[in-house]
Amino acid sequence: MKYYVRRISFYLITVWAAITLNFVLPRLTPGDPGEIMLAKLARSGVEITDQLVRSVNLLLGGATEGSLWDQYVNYLGKIFTGDLGVSITTYPEPVVDLIAKALPWTIGLVGLATVISFILGVGLGAWTGWKRGTWADNLVPGTTLIQSIPYFWLALLLLYIFSVKLKWLPIFGAYDVFTFAGPEMSWEFVSSVIYYGFLPALTIVLSSVGGWLLGMRNMMVTTLSEDYITTAEAKGLRPRRIFTAYAARNAGLPSIAGFAISLAFVVSGSIVMEQVFSYPGIGMLLIRAVQGKDYALMQGIFLVITLTVLAANFLMDIFYGFIDPRARQNG
Amino acid sequence: MIRTVGLRRMLPAVAVASSIALIASGCSGDDKGEANTGGGSGGDSGRVLNVWAGSQTPIVANFNPFMPNALLHATQGPILEPLFYFNKVADAAPTPLLGESFEWNEDGTSMTIKVREGVKWNDGEPFTAKDVAFTYNYEIAKPSYLETAEATDDTTVTLTFNTPSFTNEDGLLQMLIVPEHIWKDVPDAAVATNENPVGTGPYTVESVSDAAYVLVANPNYWQEGKPAVKKVRYLALNSNQTSSDLLTTGQLDWAGMFSPDPSKVTGGGTLAMINTPVDPTVLYTCSNAELGCEGPQTDVAVRQAINLAIDRTTLNEKAWAGQAKTISPTYALLGRDDKWIAPGMEKESPQTADAAAAGAILEAAGYAKGSDGIYAKGGQKVELTLSSVDGWTDYNDAAKLISEQAAAAGIKITPMQVTWDEFAEGRSAGTYQLIMGGLIGTATADPYSLYRDWLTTEATTPVGTAIASGDWNFSRYSNPDVDAAVLAASGTLDEDAKKAAYTVVQENILRDMPYIPIVVNATQTFMNTKDYTGWPTEDNMYAFPPSWASVGAGIVLADLKPAN
Repeated sequence: MKYYVRRISFYLITVWAAITLNFVLPRLTPGDPGEIMLAKLARSGVEITDQLVRSVNLLLGGATEGSLWDQYVNYLGKIFTGDLGVSITTYPEPVVDLIAKALPWTIGLVGLATVISFILGVGLGAWTGWKRGTWADNLVPGTTLIQSIPYFWLALLLLYIFSVKLKWLPIFGAYDVFTFAGPEMSWEFVSSVIYYGFLPALTIVLSSVGGWLLGMRNMMVTTLSEDYITTAEAKGLRPRRIFTAYAARNAGLPSIAGFAISLAFVVSGSIVMEQVFSYPGIGMLLIRAVQGKDYALMQGIFLVITLTVLAANFLMDIFYGFIDPRARQNG
Repeated sequence: MIRTVGLRRMLPAVAVASSIALIASGCSGDDKGEANTGGGSGGDSGRVLNVWAGSQTPIVANFNPFMPNALLHATQGPILEPLFYFNKVADAAPTPLLGESFEWNEDGTSMTIKVREGVKWNDGEPFTAKDVAFTYNYEIAKPSYLETAEATDDTTVTLTFNTPSFTNEDGLLQMLIVPEHIWKDVPDAAVATNENPVGTGPYTVESVSDAAYVLVANPNYWQEGKPAVKKVRYLALNSNQTSSDLLTTGQLDWAGMFSPDPSKVTGGGTLAMINTPVDPTVLYTCSNAELGCEGPQTDVAVRQAINLAIDRTTLNEKAWAGQAKTISPTYALLGRDDKWIAPGMEKESPQTADAAAAGAILEAAGYAKGSDGIYAKGGQKVELTLSSVDGWTDYNDAAKLISEQAAAAGIKITPMQVTWDEFAEGRSAGTYQLIMGGLIGTATADPYSLYRDWLTTEATTPVGTAIASGDWNFSRYSNPDVDAAVLAASGTLDEDAKKAAYTVVQENILRDMPYIPIVVNATQTFMNTKDYTGWPTEDNMYAFPPSWASVGAGIVLADLKPAN
């Protein structure tokens, strides 16, 4: 129990630090981001009202009334009511709405692809480790070779072959925009999403499965030379039981820790993938924010990314304590 | 022990589930793939015309014509219309839309407009001269030179100006007219999103999603029988590559974008490409030492020498894939504005390099070649930096080529790649020597606005002070003769008087070279000529063809017909 209390309080402090950093950073950078944002808005023809000036300054710091402490309290209040400000590239759309629209696509596609890649990689890795010294070892150089191809090149190549030349798969988007006037709850729409997500997901899996496979296989080989494996074999246990309960379970621990981290970064999206496939996720939104100098949107996205990384790590810590009792004892 | 059993049961279950997901997505991929390619490029008249929306995902429903980040491709033209349309690629009279005719008074301080009768807004309300007067008086839209706008009866509007305003004709008459009965109740026009726009144009909004929006024909449209294409879908695409792939596979019918190898895109036989260059590409030079410019380029001899040292044929072939057109040193658009180029003036910039002539100019100005082959005067070498925005590959390539060509003429130009911010900041504050940049081509067959905005003293500031938005004189060029001539041209409708004024301007800029002319940049439009007819062609350029062209896009859409 002590373990969980310690972990929870640690994460609460980290969340507070992350939110505070997000408040402090724009106020430390030279120049006044609020001023830049207002100038940019004014140049694009938006009328600068007093209310707009106040909300920009509150969000980004700058020439605001009130002490730093008052600003900080105000900012915290806004964050907790879900108000991340207004995007200037799509003014007057709130940042929260933009992120809420993009997040499901990224989590759905990149998240699923990461899970598939992990399961496939670890499963195959465990198996090749078990069958070490046979032809199965060839899987290792094979998958790492694919992984070493630059991602954008692999994606563009597959897109060109399957979408432009063979026309088996779609070229862009998250669903069939020629048929659907927006997301809806129907089997046709869901299958369209799966169909449109297939190639992007395939490229992510292809480009990441090699790492999981290699890591798992090597851990598996190490674990199989442990004494308790020999003991288990000497006891006459079935090989299947040794494989799952003795070898794979122990060998998989480092991979699971790594999985937590890669799962957390799912939220930041796969920027290159979303660019190549014009996929409407967080990565695309981030590129757009950077290109348009949209500070509110960037800040919002960074905050969401930070919080998810922390949340994923927290869940993994809890889970890790569950599967590996040693972490609970010493942690 | 219980936990172990759970885990053991779970693993195969997860594996099976994930493989089912993979198989399922693979299967549906195959089925839908065939359906999609079959249905996407059919030629039936009922199908939707697909256009590149220019906007990126996610699309936010916003059809406010007064906001710079609204969905303007559809708002300007297809949904809202102006009184007249000025075709920037032809020397033709303005096309009447909501207006029927207009008339200036003697000195250009007042204009009387006859407005079309019998037009209805797409919500059924009648359109009258009152809406026109309302639009011109609407705070957010009212131009600074406009004094009053008054509807004298249902079909007549009288505008009065505080200065002679002949030269504002195109800007004024191309203003999009909005309905009074809607906009008078909008509390803050700068932030309203106008999600269900009421307009007079050929289309109205049917639906908006985060990836696309669809327009349907306006049944009340005032032009009988138009538009023949009943539905138009604007797609948000995030890159040129996606757009080009969609065009190649027949899933996109109309897009204005640049492709270095257009024949590859049009190879399938359903598409045609039309190239309508209008915007000059030049070297900005910070030319005026009196206003604080520094560097060798403040000497007119250096600017003239660079002009002669450039091999424009090679530049066009290597940096613009042969798609750019020849530029005139008067910045008038060759072909369209020929009548404004004064007789005896050099009509085209030299197309090949003449290093010897460039050297002769420098030597006549007192420069001598040093041992390193670079000209110098008074210990000051002719060494310049040429900035171009990183990632604008045509400009980056051109800058490198110009550097090589100038070196052959004894001028050292160092190409530099800068961020867009540095570029904008440098040209606005005047802290640069040479920049690869563009001039904004004029909207009518007349170089006037270019002369006024880019060359007059009024449109510039001393180095260190930012140039106001709407002014563009980044070279800090200031010449009383040019100022006087531009002023004279603004106060008259008489063609001969204008020509005389332009002759003065052109004589001065041909000598002073405040912007060294390079090429006129390509503007490519790809369109599906197999399934649709009625596109603008080289012989019938009734409107500026790109899908992003303001107002022009509405005219093209209204004129299109399904091929069958």
